[in-house]
Amino acid sequence: MRKIGHFGKFGGRYVPEMLMPALEELESTYESAKKDKDFQKEFKELLRNFSGRPTPLTYAANLTEKLGGAKIYLKNEGLNITGAHKITHCIGQAMLAKKMGKKRLIAETGAGQHGLATATVAAKFGFECSVYMGEEDIKRQRPNVFLMERLGAKVIPVSFGSKTLKDAVNAALKDYIENVKTSHYLLGSVVGPHPYPTMTRDFQSIVGKETKKQIKKLEGKYPDVIIACVGGGSNAMGIFYDFIKEKEVNLIGVEAGGVGDKIGEHSARFKGGSIGVVEGFKSYFLQDKDGQLQKTHSISAGLDYAGVGPELAYLQETKRVQFQSITDQEALNAFDLLARVEGIIPALESAHALAFAIKIAPRLEKQKIIVVNLSGRGDKDLFIVAKAFKDKTFKEFLLDYTKFYEQY
Amino acid sequence: MNNIDKKINQLKKESRMGVMTHVVVGYPSLKETSQLVLLMSKCGVDFIELQIPFSDPLADGPTIMKACEKSLHNGTKIKDAMRIAKDISSKINNPLIFMAYFNNIFKYGVKKFCQDAKSAGISGLIVPDIPPEEEECECLRHFAKKMGLYFIPVLSPVSTIKRIKKNLKKGEGFVYCTAKQGTTGVSQTLNLESLQYLKKVKKISKVPIALGFGISSRKHLQQIKGNADIAVIGSFLINLIENSENNYQKKIATFLNSLQE
Repeated sequence: MRKIGHFGKFGGRYVPEMLMPALEELESTYESAKKDKDFQKEFKELLRNFSGRPTPLTYAANLTEKLGGAKIYLKNEGLNITGAHKITHCIGQAMLAKKMGKKRLIAETGAGQHGLATATVAAKFGFECSVYMGEEDIKRQRPNVFLMERLGAKVIPVSFGSKTLKDAVNAALKDYIENVKTSHYLLGSVVGPHPYPTMTRDFQSIVGKETKKQIKKLEGKYPDVIIACVGGGSNAMGIFYDFIKEKEVNLIGVEAGGVGDKIGEHSARFKGGSIGVVEGFKSYFLQDKDGQLQKTHSISAGLDYAGVGPELAYLQETKRVQFQSITDQEALNAFDLLARVEGIIPALESAHALAFAIKIAPRLEKQKIIVVNLSGRGDKDLFIVAKAFKDKTFKEFLLDYTKFYEQY
Repeated sequence: MNNIDKKINQLKKESRMGVMTHVVVGYPSLKETSQLVLLMSKCGVDFIELQIPFSDPLADGPTIMKACEKSLHNGTKIKDAMRIAKDISSKINNPLIFMAYFNNIFKYGVKKFCQDAKSAGISGLIVPDIPPEEEECECLRHFAKKMGLYFIPVLSPVSTIKRIKKNLKKGEGFVYCTAKQGTTGVSQTLNLESLQYLKKVKKISKVPIALGFGISSRKHLQQIKGNADIAVIGSFLINLIENSENNYQKKIATFLNSLQE
């Protein structure tokens, strides 16, 4: 017996009974919103007039020429208001929360991008907002913490477990369990219990829909390859979803290869993980034989997660999406190259997808087309990239600035 | 006859409320877990829940989370839980119940888990993160039943009549009801309003009601009398261990004896 909310053997709703009524309410609210023309109209208007959609599909002429192979297009999601695709499902879910009469939004965040997007919609829609963030991530991403707080959100440090994204998800789910009557949990990816993976994918599918139209207009055909980075998988499902039925389009997901193949050195779930049931859904997880989650690593906090969206696990199993991994260093090189030749600074997450395109483009014929989903822009990674490039003057600036900060 | 039923019959005969206590396997150490359970049995506890530590325990508050973390840090494995359960069950007659998150059972193998738990002398399973819809697909109750283990349903104050019925359809042993909406952990006062739902449960349930989450004193036990048949004390005992430098055994014995007075 298989029911809705399952993708083959993956997905489902493995949660304490305490959450079932809330998830049922969310599911039925979403199902009715899907058919509600006014809801859809308002959603599209917010995407256009607030977030800045449609985002451009940019031909990377210089990069293409330099690599000498397939034509590379970039779907520039970094031009959304908060700098990444995340804002789209935040707007959608905030509208649902309003419909359900909730007063407060709860979110988890790794890099801070989803937290920032949630804090943004909370400010716009007038919700109270609590964002859970691992202590380790707070250390790495202080600027985003500052911005979330300016937007009126309360950022709550999580000191359990590995003190990163998975622990923030746990803490947020617990808050949700406790305050289910007044609060909506704005889960930030295509993970978690049903209906989150389906709902978030549907909201994000605008990315693929736009890409279809844009590439058809520019090239008169669909691309040969679409590449997206995969943490939880929201940007990947967003651009892939409308192309799943176009069998001639190759879909490639890129996981974080980190610094090595050992436990705690990467976040490549398909290569190093196995099937499990954690945080409410069945999918691939990096875990030991007993089912305890393992440590993960990636230079990009958005890919540094032990699990992957259940629909992506299904698409991997059915071989519709192929998965690859890219190391920290390869991502940094791609970041650097794109900035220099195209004038676009990508998020480190998106740089993983780009790095794989750079790898394969020279091997493909010139009439082939690659679309890379550039899920976010790189401003947020300023501190991490400066450190990775061992930028001495930036370090001096930081030291001097502390003095300056104290003086005035 | 399942050991849980034997105990329930005994409680009925003695017309008293039962007490279930909770330990995290491997906390503070495997050896101490065994000693603790024997001590609890000696102090008149009726049922004992052995929690298999999990890295991401969704239904647990800070106290039990920390205990899980420490136990895993000590290197506790599922096979250790099987081993000490076997040792304990050879020494005492109390019904022992495994509390485990589904991923641990899933990775160990649902069938093998039920087989090994049974041969370790376990009487029932509490799995806090698997609603009936998913449980059916995973055949968890199926294999538990085959091995003669009771699969204990869990309900909360927000459970609707429909969901109570769904969960109790095949209820065996007892039903675990939470005293609050939230995670495990000590509360100063019980929210009696949130216990109203127990009346609904009582009407529908054919099995006794165990009440847990936030129960930590004799006063609480008196407050829930008539609403519940078994009181569950978990985080409070783990706090006693965590906050004592030594001799927590004595503190636990004193506390458990105070419940009987």
